[in-house]
Amino acid sequence: MSSVVYDSVRMPANPLQDGLRLEPTPGPTTLVIFGATGDLTRRKLLPAVYRLFRSQRLPARFSIIGAAREDRGDDWFRTQLRGSLSEFAGVKEEDDVARSLTERMYFVGGDFADGAVYRRLAGRLQEIDSAGGVLFYLAIPPSAYATVIEQLGASGLAASPSPAAWRRVIVEKPFGTDLDSARELNKLVHKHFAEDQVFRIDHYLGKETVQNLMVFRFANGMFEPIWNRRYIDHIQITAAETVGVERRAAYYEGAGALRDMVQNHLMQLLSLVAMEPPIAFTAESVRDRKLDALLSVQPLQDDSAPDGPQVVRAQYGAGWVTGEEVPAYRSEPDVNPASTTETFVALKFHIDSWRWAGVPFYIRTGKRLPKRTTEIAIQFRRPPLQIFKRVTAASVAPNLLIINVQPDEGISVRFEAKLPGTRMQLAPVMMSFRYGTSFGGSVPEAYETLLLDAMIGDPTLFARHDFVEASWALITPVHERWRQAAPEQIPVYESGEWGPAEAHALMTRDGRRWRTL
Amino acid sequence: MSDANAGRLLEHGTEVPFSEIEAALGRDGVQEGKRASSLALTATVVVVGPPERLSDAAEALTQLTDIAIRAILISYGDRATPVVRVWEHAVALEGLTPHYLNNAVAALRLSSLPTLVWWRGGPPELLDGLADLADRLVLDAEKPVPVWARVSALAERAATSDLRWTRLTRWRALMAHFWDIPEVRAAAPGFNRLRIEGSDLYAARLYAAWLASTLKWTPAALEVHEKPGGAAIECVELGDGEQGLKLRTASSSTCIETAARVHGHAGEVSRIVSLGDQGLCALIGEELRIRSRDLAFERAVAAVGGLE
Repeated sequence: MSSVVYDSVRMPANPLQDGLRLEPTPGPTTLVIFGATGDLTRRKLLPAVYRLFRSQRLPARFSIIGAAREDRGDDWFRTQLRGSLSEFAGVKEEDDVARSLTERMYFVGGDFADGAVYRRLAGRLQEIDSAGGVLFYLAIPPSAYATVIEQLGASGLAASPSPAAWRRVIVEKPFGTDLDSARELNKLVHKHFAEDQVFRIDHYLGKETVQNLMVFRFANGMFEPIWNRRYIDHIQITAAETVGVERRAAYYEGAGALRDMVQNHLMQLLSLVAMEPPIAFTAESVRDRKLDALLSVQPLQDDSAPDGPQVVRAQYGAGWVTGEEVPAYRSEPDVNPASTTETFVALKFHIDSWRWAGVPFYIRTGKRLPKRTTEIAIQFRRPPLQIFKRVTAASVAPNLLIINVQPDEGISVRFEAKLPGTRMQLAPVMMSFRYGTSFGGSVPEAYETLLLDAMIGDPTLFARHDFVEASWALITPVHERWRQAAPEQIPVYESGEWGPAEAHALMTRDGRRWRTL
Repeated sequence: MSDANAGRLLEHGTEVPFSEIEAALGRDGVQEGKRASSLALTATVVVVGPPERLSDAAEALTQLTDIAIRAILISYGDRATPVVRVWEHAVALEGLTPHYLNNAVAALRLSSLPTLVWWRGGPPELLDGLADLADRLVLDAEKPVPVWARVSALAERAATSDLRWTRLTRWRALMAHFWDIPEVRAAAPGFNRLRIEGSDLYAARLYAAWLASTLKWTPAALEVHEKPGGAAIECVELGDGEQGLKLRTASSSTCIETAARVHGHAGEVSRIVSLGDQGLCALIGEELRIRSRDLAFERAVAAVGGLE
């Protein structure tokens, strides 16, 4: 990502970094992972650290300390790395790089509520590198955040002794479960960490296409002039998964799609599409404009609103996805057989601003949908005059700009072209740009980008406290209405279909339809 | 280019008249009823050199399967009307008299794409004309000194680099990482000995010149040892006899071992990291990702003479 602040932590400036082709590296750093025995560490964090280490993106003096409730020892943690690389990074046999990395791995175990754990951690940090930065990664259940943050503060580990010996903390989602809990958590975090020490991670923001969205909008003169209500009819944001609840039922039952996907990932995408141009590509300027966009979003009306409901929720039933039969949500392991947790949600947002007045933003996300894809589709208005209607029976399709976030990252434009021949016949054609075919080199995993940014001290791609709260302020009233209504059953869609009929009605009422992906 | 066919471009491309190149490229995009792959081209790469140095460059470009480029290969000869072959997004001109090199490049480059010229040797004065047609010049001559002498002038007209410099990217980054360690920075003013070992003495001198020009420093003792048959650089040692830094290729040759030995808390630092792909394909791929002027390279090249 950008390098707007990294020099401030490398004192004095390193002359040999001048003109280097490899991107900036942080100064000496120790990464402390709370939750070292967990899934996130094994699946994402350790492979990301290995890839960064291998590609020389980490400093010469770099270490990892794993922390967990069970005291398993350094050797266990090192073995964990080997297993993780074999399973999730394609490193079947330990190579020299992995061996070198394991030599820098340590483990501290014990009850996170016990101050002795933090004293041992402080001792380890002192032995390893007393002068470098420390990045705490909370890869733990949200219920344990408060304990660890309090203990880090009480033990003095949250305070940065010098600019080079910085202390930062990465907090995983969910950041709260509603507006009140998010405020409480922010209050607690700010008791021990300044905001510039806090990195609330949303891995969607580490994806290349999401970052490219800002480049696309603000580094090209041809799109921004038409990026407004005068030319855009509406915007659709879709995040579709084929998987069901899998092993996350314990968490998902209390969360649902609205909290799990919309409050964080999709509101981030919405704000990137809707934001005004920042005055500079700096963390604060970008995040200020994103917050402005979110604050312009109008509250979601309840179902009795005259123009129909703005929110549709549903739950997947049994069906057929990616070639096999799958059970209904209520039949999944660890799910309450009478659960009303939504696995699908579709919403219509209005943004009150000069740029977006009258342009609806439709958002949908769900599990067990026909394919895994995340995209932003910007549908433009039709030409004001249909001059071809006398020569062609088919109506002219509106122009479409599609930003593919995953899995096939890229940007496509749909426009009309004349079919070759003596008659005037029109047909829509797509012009596509794909990261995979246009640029060489592997695209870094989102966690690589974000871990490195946090070590460098660049918060541009992390959620700020006020954004998190503004997002919850939009979502919490919906949840509150759902809680009060307490139906025995919510709409059900068959697994492998694009959501319930109610979601389609949300669009057809407005004379529009969801894109068939 | 796709790997299946363009690898044999020089032997199997379709022969066409020069004037029909673009039309032939269009036709070749739809072969045997197959639609051409949908690509957003990112650059025109013009490889220029004697015939014997073009085949490995062509091979490297065919391996660039994940970067969409338009390739032009021009080998020197004595023909005003060279043999022209096309294949997908590639053109090969064989035996072109050097006098018409600029004319050919001017005709074949596209204004809508950046042009990178990969210079694999030839009369250095031809670079002057190419610099006006290219956005980026990547030098790759077997004997680089005559072309390095022109770099300061060329760089004013087109961003200029050298594949020897590209090979040093990771070696430079690793040395720079040491400078982030406070104990190393404290000891560095005393470092007066630099020893470099490798198969490419030009690359070794360029590395030494980079250190000298960046640190504004002249080593009291500079040793450059040729080790034929190995990697361009195999070992770099910088120090004062007691304290120092060492970078050397690991036994596998795909990694670099780095070690710092300096006084102070945690003054002993060592690790092994990947050397990265040092093949021609990866190197030219790296150059394709850079669009700006490389001042560090220009300073290093200018300093090479001072080390002789």
